[in-house]
Amino acid sequence: MGITRQDLDKLKEAAGKRVPKDWIRVGYSTCGVAAGADVVYSVLVEEVKARGLNLDVKKCGCVGLCSAEPLVEVNVEGVPHVFYGKVTKDVAHKIMDEHVSQKKLVENHIYEL
Amino acid sequence: MKRILIQDTNGNLRKELRDFHVSLTSQLRDRNLAEAAQVVIVADIGVYQKGLVAKILPEGFVYGNLEAKHIPAIIEQTIQKGEKIAGLALEKKNKQMRLVLRNCGVIDPESFEDYLRCDGYQGLARALEMGPEKVIEEMKKAGLRGRGGAGFPTWLKWNLTRAVPGAVKFIICNGDEGDPGAYMDRSVLEGDPHAVIEGMMIGGLAVGATQGIFYIRAEYPLAVQRIQKAIDTCYAKGLLGKNILGSSFNFEIEIRLGAGAFVCGEETALIASVEGLRGYPRPRPPFPSVKGLWGHPTVINNVETLANISYIFLHGGEAFGKIGMEGSTGTKVFALTGKVRNSGLVEVPMGISLREIVFDIGGGVLNNKKIRAIQTGGPSGGVIPEQFFDTPVGYESLQKLGSIMGSGGMIVLDENDCMVDISKFYLGFCVDESCGKCAPCRIGGTQMLAILTRIAAGKGEEDDLKKLDEIASAMQKASLCGLGQTAPNPVVSTLKYFAEEYRAHVIDKKCPSGKCSSLVAYSINKEKCTACGMCARACPATAITGSRTDKYTIDKAKCISCGQCFEVCKFGAVVRQ
Amino acid sequence: MVAETLVEDVKKVVERWKDKEGNLIMVLHDVQDRYGYVPREAALEVSRQLDAPLARIYEVLTFYNYFKVQAPGKFNISVCLGTACYLKGATTLIEEIREILHVEEGHSTKDGLFHLQIVRCLGCCGLAPVITVDGKVYSAVKRSDVVNIIAEYSNK
Repeated sequence: MGITRQDLDKLKEAAGKRVPKDWIRVGYSTCGVAAGADVVYSVLVEEVKARGLNLDVKKCGCVGLCSAEPLVEVNVEGVPHVFYGKVTKDVAHKIMDEHVSQKKLVENHIYEL
Repeated sequence: MKRILIQDTNGNLRKELRDFHVSLTSQLRDRNLAEAAQVVIVADIGVYQKGLVAKILPEGFVYGNLEAKHIPAIIEQTIQKGEKIAGLALEKKNKQMRLVLRNCGVIDPESFEDYLRCDGYQGLARALEMGPEKVIEEMKKAGLRGRGGAGFPTWLKWNLTRAVPGAVKFIICNGDEGDPGAYMDRSVLEGDPHAVIEGMMIGGLAVGATQGIFYIRAEYPLAVQRIQKAIDTCYAKGLLGKNILGSSFNFEIEIRLGAGAFVCGEETALIASVEGLRGYPRPRPPFPSVKGLWGHPTVINNVETLANISYIFLHGGEAFGKIGMEGSTGTKVFALTGKVRNSGLVEVPMGISLREIVFDIGGGVLNNKKIRAIQTGGPSGGVIPEQFFDTPVGYESLQKLGSIMGSGGMIVLDENDCMVDISKFYLGFCVDESCGKCAPCRIGGTQMLAILTRIAAGKGEEDDLKKLDEIASAMQKASLCGLGQTAPNPVVSTLKYFAEEYRAHVIDKKCPSGKCSSLVAYSINKEKCTACGMCARACPATAITGSRTDKYTIDKAKCISCGQCFEVCKFGAVVRQ
Repeated sequence: MVAETLVEDVKKVVERWKDKEGNLIMVLHDVQDRYGYVPREAALEVSRQLDAPLARIYEVLTFYNYFKVQAPGKFNISVCLGTACYLKGATTLIEEIREILHVEEGHSTKDGLFHLQIVRCLGCCGLAPVITVDGKVYSAVKRSDVVNIIAEYSNK
């Protein structure tokens, strides 16, 4: 037996409660992957694991800013929520060191559109 | 902590940017505010042609045309007191409106939970309560028109299929995005697969179909994979199959792959392809709504259309109908590419002007070149010259200009792009993709391409232009399907707006933009040459020789007229004729 | 070169699709996924197992661009010739590849190492012009980059 309308509402409510406060989204569509999103994603996941952070790193679709791929959106408490574009492996490390740990924005890669 | 974001100027105003940055940081330090405000240079703030631009967070104030003299005020008023400086502030309006792309880049497309959190399948639940007639009524209120190109009202299409009796009906999602230069369907399938599935289920309910088929380009493996995963999840959760959400509605979905044929964008050809045959279009009537897949009534909707539908049933048809403009409601996603600064997908309400899309959202032309035209509608569309950039974007308004909305390709052409060359490119595409079934398209296309090739090679004759016109009009009238009927559009519209340029090719044997290499010759003006050697290094054919003392010359026999030397010369010494 | 498991391979594919109407294109997709192209032997086997005339198989194979009937090279270079890539100079990339490898589009080099094909829009227009080599994407490629990209593979 499939779910009913009521189940849908319950599932939605339950899903809403499980959203972590801090998260990073990596644009993971064909264009993003073509530009290197896969490498960036694994760097971020490894770093979060190594530092034991309570930070959700997520693969998402494409925001649309294709010329700035790979795009990474960072939402961490205490720092403004921003998009980083043209993220390389090095920039991914910087995002972890500067943005996440030191609460400083990373130079030259923000796309605030 | 405050953050002062300064927009990088990509090489322009380099000195101003550096000076401003240095004096801002030092003044902050002098006032012991270095810890209270972080100064960051950022890639883009999205405000252009306003000199130095900065944004202050968390307030979000945007200041433009900045100079060093403004720094003390910024520090005292904005950084220390959080006040906006009216004289500097720019109003930054977000001209995009994300309905179709509402979840793209926001949710994990492989997570069912994420989609539910964004009110997933609530629209379907509403539609099930309403029943088919009311669903179609709701669509009528919304006024949604097909986003695949032709702009046929979706409610009417559904109503036609619904009216045909039959126990077996199909709904097909056309995801065979063929326009070279448009990729919004791929992005939606990859970024928000459940939204498309939900739209398809609502459509199935409305027309009385129990079977849905996704027809997706094989060149989009990730899209296929994500849709398949979403379908599997729906089956596992009981959202597909029998008695969906406790109702009497039964629905099944499967995927069929396209195999690279532009003509399969045509509904009857697409149906033939799903049937496992060559994608030949069939004469209409009978229309697919009466006799479609395996002879059963079939409705075909494009990916973007279906993604709109799940939105409409979540927020209501009336609310949707208020977005956009009369006759063209809602939004449209465009793939803004070509010679534009920010190329990518943009979603805008209908009625916005082309100028706003290209300049305010797209940031204008790449490398500060001059814009010549905007091409919309891909190989079935046309070019729009600058005098019409303020036209509001809608189905009819673009058609009046000799172009079409199409699936949403929007290509910016700059001063280096030749109109003859671009028509030749599009027509070449259609000739390649013509299925060959009907003569007007098969023969007409080939002949037009031969004429254009001749013109581009400098061998055009005066009555060639008249011939192009005649063949184009025959193709438009007599071709069997949309591909042949629209294939001449790029040629017709360039002939209309850029007749001078064609005449320059035919009569003067010159290509004004320098693209058609057989019509261009390059030479070096020794008086202007500084003997820097840039041109010689750039030349891929080693046609340029010389030295610091003798200056440089181009060997005409070796020159392939690629124009690299012309591009790199900073002193205007390379002459194009 | 055709695997000895050909009959078995085709059987598996046909088994998967046999109950579906209009399955030919899907069967051929699966065959091409397995071999990288549709060898003549496989087409014959599909014809036998589906009980469809060989002409019917080739009718489909030759109509659609996606299907290949010739073995690809060891490395496959695809140059995107979508509108955005075209405007940003994809044709000069094709010229450069032709010059370096002496290969025409749709063909392989004599040693079978490289195969050059032209594709219509890979859907990465923001990264134009784009070249892929066996699925790896190179974006914003300049004519002068081509030689290095090819060198990456010639020594492998």
